[in-house]
Order: sequence, then structure tokens, then C-alpha cells
Amino acid sequence: MNSSDDPFEAELRALGESLHVPPPPEAMADRVLTALREPAPKRRLTAKRLVAAVAAVLVVLVAATPQGRAAVAGVLRFAGVEIEVGGSAPLPSGSPSPLPSETSAALADARAAVAFPLVVPAALGEPDEVTVADGGQVVSMYWDGVRLDQYDGTLREVWHKELGEPFPQQTWLGTTSGVWIPQQHGIEYLPGTGGPPVSLRLAGPTLIWQLGRVGLRLEGVPTLQEAGRIAESVR
Amino acid sequence: MNADDPPPLTDDEAVGRSLAGDLTAYEALVTRYTAIAHRTAFLLGAGDEAEDVVQEAFVKAYRHLRSFRRDSAFRPWLLRIVANETHNATRSRGRRADLSVRLEAVRDGGGPEDPQDTAVAGDRSARLLAAVRALPDREREAVVCRYFLQLSEAETAEVLDCPIGSVKSRTHRGLRRLREEVDRELL
Repeated sequence: MNSSDDPFEAELRALGESLHVPPPPEAMADRVLTALREPAPKRRLTAKRLVAAVAAVLVVLVAATPQGRAAVAGVLRFAGVEIEVGGSAPLPSGSPSPLPSETSAALADARAAVAFPLVVPAALGEPDEVTVADGGQVVSMYWDGVRLDQYDGTLREVWHKELGEPFPQQTWLGTTSGVWIPQQHGIEYLPGTGGPPVSLRLAGPTLIWQLGRVGLRLEGVPTLQEAGRIAESVR
Repeated sequence: MNADDPPPLTDDEAVGRSLAGDLTAYEALVTRYTAIAHRTAFLLGAGDEAEDVVQEAFVKAYRHLRSFRRDSAFRPWLLRIVANETHNATRSRGRRADLSVRLEAVRDGGGPEDPQDTAVAGDRSARLLAAVRALPDREREAVVCRYFLQLSEAETAEVLDCPIGSVKSRTHRGLRRLREEVDRELL
């Protein structure tokens, strides 16, 4: 691989070999195995992690609560998304609708227009288009076939989804928990001013997670592995 | 080599057994890659947190092992987790990742050398290292991966989580800047 004959590059390699790097830690295998054998991962409990942990517990609790309709039916509320599971809801047809009062904006203007911090996934680079909708409730970023919605995920439910099987799957992005919906599903938007849900479109596979108070949903990436890679690259 | 020793596990065999819950197999992977993981964390700027970064990276790698694609190489996948953990560590302490290395004391060449030559070479190395340290983050990371860690372009792309084209352009820009910097100071 390093077949270059460039003397300057060779000099850099030689410099790298002459650098003083501390010796590799001893007994790393023991340290790792000890950490892995601990029943629960031992982490510093920051506020953010506490929120994530509480949210994860809520998902489990709510999912385990019978909803009357069917034994397995339930409502997951996670990161501003309300997911009704159990019924096989009819998929929406017809042309997709935009979010209420969705308008294009430059990224800097979008940042200024909303009350929560925006992130951009380094794995996707600068978005092709950015929109602000519903008076600053939602910012959407678009790349080819992929969209990322960001919204305040702590105040209220922003999205509503109905799903049959396969049920959404809990996942971990580093130390943050997320929910992965592998199949196409209908999605409705719940306007910030109240009012009836707005049926939007048939959504593709979606990863949902929360960063601080910001809820994020990444849509249109076919595999969890790829979606997770993108989600972990947000800056 | 003892003829009775079983042949060492390949990475893929070790990953397969680890996935089945065999921690001894994972231990083999940890032992195999601790040195390069530690060097990577250190040179990407983890400083004195490099050991913790490496431990956390191995723990996360094990917990995320199911997302590892078995048809790809384990080493760059692991090093990407190390790079991410290094970013997390440097970000949480709120300062720029610094390349906190120093040069080895001038090594014994094994024979009498012109002390002036040695001094000049040492001086140039020190300048070059300072110039690497002063590179913009992305270029520095690419240069560190390509030359200090001697990773291929493809491995660097995976470790830094960017396209190969970006590795090429960042490396190219970084090299140009380094040349300018070192040549300028020679005048």
C-alpha cells in the first residue's frame, strides 16, 4: 500500500516511527473482559444519559402496557415520536404532502430560525436542501433519497406512526438508545398548534433517536448499520 | 513455537466465536489489537486518556459486534471506533485534539556520526512534527493515519469515516502545507 517513492512521504513515515508513544497498556484484555462481565455498563451518569435511560425505560413500560385493542398492541413514545404498534394499518397512497408551511432556507438561516441546536451528519456532508416548517417546529435536511428531520423531542409528540410487524427495534448508537423501523410505513405530522394530524406520505426505513432535547428521525437509509453510521457522525 | 499450540484464530473465527458469546475468543482480538488501537488513540490526540479510550472502544466494539460486516476487515472497523471514542474524549474535555507526542531522544546510530548532521536532522524532524501538529484537524488526521499509523487509503477512509476521495484530497493538501512549512523555515 505504501509503495510511494516520494522521499517526503518516506520521511514522514520515518518520523512516525521515531515518535515517542507510551507503551501500550498492559492487561488490557483483563480490563475489557472485566468491563464486559459487569451486569450493567458502568457509565458516568450525565443528565443526557439519564434522559436517554428514562426514555428507554418508558419505551419498555409503555410497550408492555396492554392497550385493549390486541394483546401485543401498544404505543411507543420515544423522542417525540408516537408509534402505535400491533395493528396492520393501511399504507397511505396518493402523492406525498409537505409539512405545514414548509419553506427552503439556508442552513445558517435555519439555525437562527429554530429554538434548538441543529446538527449535520458528517457522513452525508452538507445537505442539498434545508427546510423549516410549521413556524420553526421542524427542520428537514435532504440528500439524495435521504432526509433528516430535527425537532424539539422533549415537549410533545411531533410524529405519529402506525406499524404492524416487524415491530420497531431498539438499538444503541454509542451510548444513546434509538429506535429502528425497518419497513415502509405511513407517517403523520402533529402540528405544533394542535389541530388534526396531517397525513404526509409513505415513509421509508427510519432511525429515531434523541440528542439532548433534540429529536431526530433519519429516513431513507435501507439498513440499520448504515443509518447508525450516519447517526453517529452528526456534529 | 510449540508444536502442540493450536493455530491462532483468524480474526473472522475470533469474531464468529465472540458473537456466540465466547469471551476468550474476544480476548484474543483485544490482545492482538491493543498496541495499534493505543497508538491510534494517542496519535489522534487522546493524550493521557488513551488507555481509557482503548478500553471503552473494545467494550463498544464487542457490544456492536453484530453490526460488523463479516466480509470486511476487523482492524479498520475497530480503529474507527477508537477514532470516534478519541473524538468523544477530546470533545468532552472541551479542547482541540492535540498531537501530544514528542520525538524520541536522538537514537544511537550504532556508530560515530557527525554530531552536526545529527543535530540538523533532529531539528528538521522537530520542525516537521510541529508542522503536522499545526495542520487543520482533518488534514492532520489524514496525515497521521496515512504516515504515522501507515494505514492504506481505504483503511484511513474507514477509520475517519469519509470517502476515499476525501482522504486523497486531505492528504494532498496536508502534504503540500507541510512541504511549504518545512521549506520556508529552511530559508
